Amino acid sequence: MEQEIMTETHSGTAVTASPNRQAIAMQLKDVAVSFNGRTAVRDCTFDVAKNRVTSLIGPSGSGKTTLLRALNRLHDLTSGAKVSGHILLEGTDVYRGDLTVTELRTRVGMVFQRPNPFPTMSIYDNAVSGLRFNGIKKKALLDEAAETSLRAAALWDSVEGRLKVAASNLSGGEQQRLCIARALAMDPEVLLMDEPTSALDPIATLRIEELMTTLKSRVTIIIVTHNMQQAARISDDCAFLLMGEDRAGELIEFDTTEKIFNNPRDPRTLDYTLGRFG
Amino acid sequence: MSDMTEIQEPKEVGNEMRGEIRRISSHSRARRLAVSRMMIALCAIALLVSAVPLVMLLYQLFKQGLPVIDKAFFTTLPSTPSLIAPNATGGVSNAIVGTLALTIYASVMAIPVGILVGIYLAETESKLASSLRVIAQTMAGAPSILMGLFAFSFVVRDLNVGFSAIAGSFALAVLMLPVIVISTEIAVRNVPNTLREAGLALGAKPHVISLRVVLPASASGIVTGTILAVSRAVGETAPVMLVIAGGFTNSWKPFDPVSALPLSIYENAKSEWPSLRAQVWGIALVLVVFIFVLSLSARIWASRKQQVKN
Repeated sequence: MEQEIMTETHSGTAVTASPNRQAIAMQLKDVAVSFNGRTAVRDCTFDVAKNRVTSLIGPSGSGKTTLLRALNRLHDLTSGAKVSGHILLEGTDVYRGDLTVTELRTRVGMVFQRPNPFPTMSIYDNAVSGLRFNGIKKKALLDEAAETSLRAAALWDSVEGRLKVAASNLSGGEQQRLCIARALAMDPEVLLMDEPTSALDPIATLRIEELMTTLKSRVTIIIVTHNMQQAARISDDCAFLLMGEDRAGELIEFDTTEKIFNNPRDPRTLDYTLGRFG
Repeated sequence: MSDMTEIQEPKEVGNEMRGEIRRISSHSRARRLAVSRMMIALCAIALLVSAVPLVMLLYQLFKQGLPVIDKAFFTTLPSTPSLIAPNATGGVSNAIVGTLALTIYASVMAIPVGILVGIYLAETESKLASSLRVIAQTMAGAPSILMGLFAFSFVVRDLNVGFSAIAGSFALAVLMLPVIVISTEIAVRNVPNTLREAGLALGAKPHVISLRVVLPASASGIVTGTILAVSRAVGETAPVMLVIAGGFTNSWKPFDPVSALPLSIYENAKSEWPSLRAQVWGIALVLVVFIFVLSLSARIWASRKQQVKN
């Protein structure tokens, strides 16, 4: 019985590539991440379609965040961390290609679990911090980027008159939108979001979700979420990960969100989306 | 229906336990309240006891210090009393200038190096970093006269600089350095990693993150540690007494012999002239006010920096 499920999984992941005929932003081929020889997540093969929201779901310990952080090489500075397989951004291998890690991160932005605006910087300085870190000093350019990104993050109207105020004065939801603006200011192709609403109240969560839906026309979004309703509401495609018997996470199924929630191939996916475990 | 009973059963056990907990807690409430009041009283007594020496010290300082302070105290050089003029003590302008000069030179030497080393220790993990940390911790505990001996043998004698402000400030810088290094390391380590990650995710290089994210976020901690180091150095007698030769001029020049407030206290306290011994309290008062102003202004600066442009 177990053997059967295993084979099913493997054939499942093999067929997954591109459930839709959209252009592809990122490709994952047999991606695995290990820390000091212990595998945290493995067998991840799927395509992230352009201008869509792809969600990574699964119970705690299934390696969602670990996988997400491999995509912009945030594991680089963790000693003992090793990423194997291939992660392609527009066809270029992000670990082996010509892409420098700095360039990769300007093209693949990230929003974290807890809002983390730079506390000593003003709202304006936070919004343009990425540009400044990368050596852009021209005032006109920074002003324009600040306004564009704050507008895109639906924050401009409420902060326009107080751009010089410390970012720590904003509410949690506003801080998170500032972090989204900060990432958008770099004009990334892909935006990684690691449970971006888990620290927010329901109203702030709703605003971020609405924002994601409008943002996908300009940026491909990959979001890790614990909240299945959220994944169902906002994502177009969905990857379901689960912790295997050796405590390593693995990809169980990747498909359109509609299929994952209504008609999954793997029984474990159904069990999870119905709330039978996790 | 069977589901219902299954849910209710643990509830009843819970109620029983809750009753037990309430019974015990009400039983011991009076005793716990008494213990609580006693602890508060003990804390209040401890506070009073610890405040007494401080208040007495400040009282003595102002009572005996204020009468000997006048304008000449700040502006004139010291003179030696004689039998004809037993109260002709002069002022301590040389010691004030000397202390300021020593503090400034020592700060210029120790603060930039100390902060950079502290950041290095906090942001990297290497054999060099851990050995530097052990050295800093050992140096922080070393007796201050050792710095004086070191400055004497290295700067005064080996480098042939002679007794000078620069030798004294070198000794003070060596004294300040470990304190600055350790407090900077702690302040930098306290910056949450999520901020570093935010910087990395924006494509910033590690040194850019250190300078533009971590350093501003840890500024108030670094400033506090630095004030502590400077205040300690300003009041030190031992490291400077061997190397500055207690100059009797108002000299800002680094290679001139200078005096210092703590050194003047030491020298005057040894004097056989009562008028010079009386001056000691005035010098001490000036020193205390100087340290107070120094730490107060730095703290105000740090808190302003913290609130950005509110």
